[in-house]
Order: sequence, then structure tokens, then C-alpha cells
Amino acid sequence: MEPGDAAKQARAAAQLRKGVLEYCVLALMRDSPRYGVELLHALEESGALATSQGTVYPLLSRLRRDDLVTTTWRESDSGPPRRYYALTDGGRAALDEFTRLWPGFRDAVDAFLTTPHTSNGDLA
Amino acid sequence: MKTFADPVRNYLSAVERESSALTADRRQELLADLAEHIEVTRTERPDAAIGEILTELGDPRTIAATALAEAGNGTPGTQAGGDADVPARRGKVHPLVPLLMLTLSLPFTMIFSIGPDAAFDPGAVFGFLFRVTGAVLLCTSVHWTAVQKTTGVLLAVVVPTTVIVTWNVISGWAAGEMQALLGNLGSLALMVGTAVWLWRTRRA
Repeated sequence: MEPGDAAKQARAAAQLRKGVLEYCVLALMRDSPRYGVELLHALEESGALATSQGTVYPLLSRLRRDDLVTTTWRESDSGPPRRYYALTDGGRAALDEFTRLWPGFRDAVDAFLTTPHTSNGDLA
Repeated sequence: MKTFADPVRNYLSAVERESSALTADRRQELLADLAEHIEVTRTERPDAAIGEILTELGDPRTIAATALAEAGNGTPGTQAGGDADVPARRGKVHPLVPLLMLTLSLPFTMIFSIGPDAAFDPGAVFGFLFRVTGAVLLCTSVHWTAVQKTTGVLLAVVVPTTVIVTWNVISGWAAGEMQALLGNLGSLALMVGTAVWLWRTRRA
């Protein structure tokens, strides 16, 4: 594979990630509050959503500014206190909305990618 | 532990350097988040080399660039249903602003004008600036269609200006007070009429 192809693939993955990452982060907090390193672990394990870890913190910061999440400090048995992120009502609403839209979006993309196109004169 | 301090400090000051375009509190928040991440990771994975932790955290430049991008769109466009089609900021001026600037440019000229012989005539200069700014704001506004904008500029700017300049040139600035006043009032009526029409036909 040429280096240009690798770069193009990386760009496609990065573009996709950009759109869905914040909702995946919100989804990770759905059941219980999580702290930063924990969130990053989960993203890492997913494979497709793994990203340069440090870039998730600015995202978390914006989610907090937009009132989609709140943060609280909690003491830990080992090491420093941790900042836990939890969904607000607004965050839950945004997550629900995304959850509602996603299947249609996913199916539409699948349809584009799998439907055979007839532009090569198949109809002739 | 002590040997760890320097790579971490170097890393954080690299982030600080790269994110100098952020506001001070955003930058401090980012640095605090990253410092906390490094400390927590070090407790959870005592065997990991500090270099490894920093490599996983990523390039300071990339982190700073992401922080800048996130700081740029602080609007709550992430709320349910909200679309990202926010009109350009420049078009969001209140529709009254261009209309008032266009209409008031003439009375402004009349009141503050001290005659064509002065080297600097504040009325003419500021009236002209008002008119140009009003026209630009009108044309970049999201409240009117292209046809409405063209008509507005023609009626409220081009026609009155042409009439006044032509009048002045023909009469050689020698027209009587009364005639000048009538001419100005006529132009003003045209401008006000145009502004009222634009106001009524604007889009919300």
C-alpha cells in the first residue's frame, strides 16, 4: 500500500470518529458516572473509536460547557482524587436523540455502499 | 518518582505553548485534565514507562488543535434536533441596523455639513461612510433576497446619491437654500420609503 492510501484511510476514520465520538462518550456515562481514564479505556478497547487520548479532554470540556455533562470530584483508594463525569438531563436528551437517529443513518449509508449502481449501462 | 517529573513537565509546557491561543482558563483546565490523567494512569499502571503514557496521550500540538477547535464552536448545536446550518455571523446583524444607517445618512449629512469649501466636511464624510456601511450590511444580511437587496441599494443609495451629486454639479453648488432643502427632502422620502418597504418584506 502506498503511504497516500494509508493517509486517506486515516482521514476517513478520523472524519467518521469526529461525528460520533461525543455521543459514544455520552453513551459510556449512561448507566453510571465515569472518570476520564476509564472513558479513554473504553474508547481504546472499541478499536474503531480509539483516538489520541489527549484529544478527548477538550471534548469533555466542551460537553461540560454545553451542560451535557456535570463533573464531581471523588476520592479514590489509590492515587489522586478523580473527576467523574455524569450525564445531565440535556446530555441524556441529546443521547436519546442520537440513539433515535442513528439506525436510519446507518441503514442509509449501508444502502449507498451495497446497492449496485446502474451507471455502466446495466439497463441497456 | 523524581525522574518522572521532568518529562511530564516538558510535555505539559509543550501543550501550554501550543495552546497559547486559548483563553487562560480553558488552557488551565486542559492542563489540569492532562495532569490528572497522567497521575491517575501512573497509579493504575505503575509498571508503565512515563514515556509510554505520554505517547498514548498524544502529540501536544494535536491536543492543542483539538482544544482550539472545540473552543470555537461553543454553541449548543449539539442539542436535540439542532442543525449545524448556523448562518454566517456577519449576516446576523439586526435588520434595522442597515435600514437606519441608510436612512439617517442623509439627515446626518444635512445637519453636520459645513459646506463644500471646507477641506474636511464631517457631514459629507460621515454621511458617506454611513451610507456605504449600510449598503454593505444590507447586502450581507440574511433577511432579504438578492433582488430585494439590489432594489434597496438602487433606491436608497444609488439614485439619491446620483441625483444629489448631479444636482450639485449642474447648479455649481449655487442652488438656493430652498431648492436644496426640497431636493434633500425628496431624496429622504425615497430613502425612508425604501427602508419601510425593506422592513416590511424582510425575512424573520
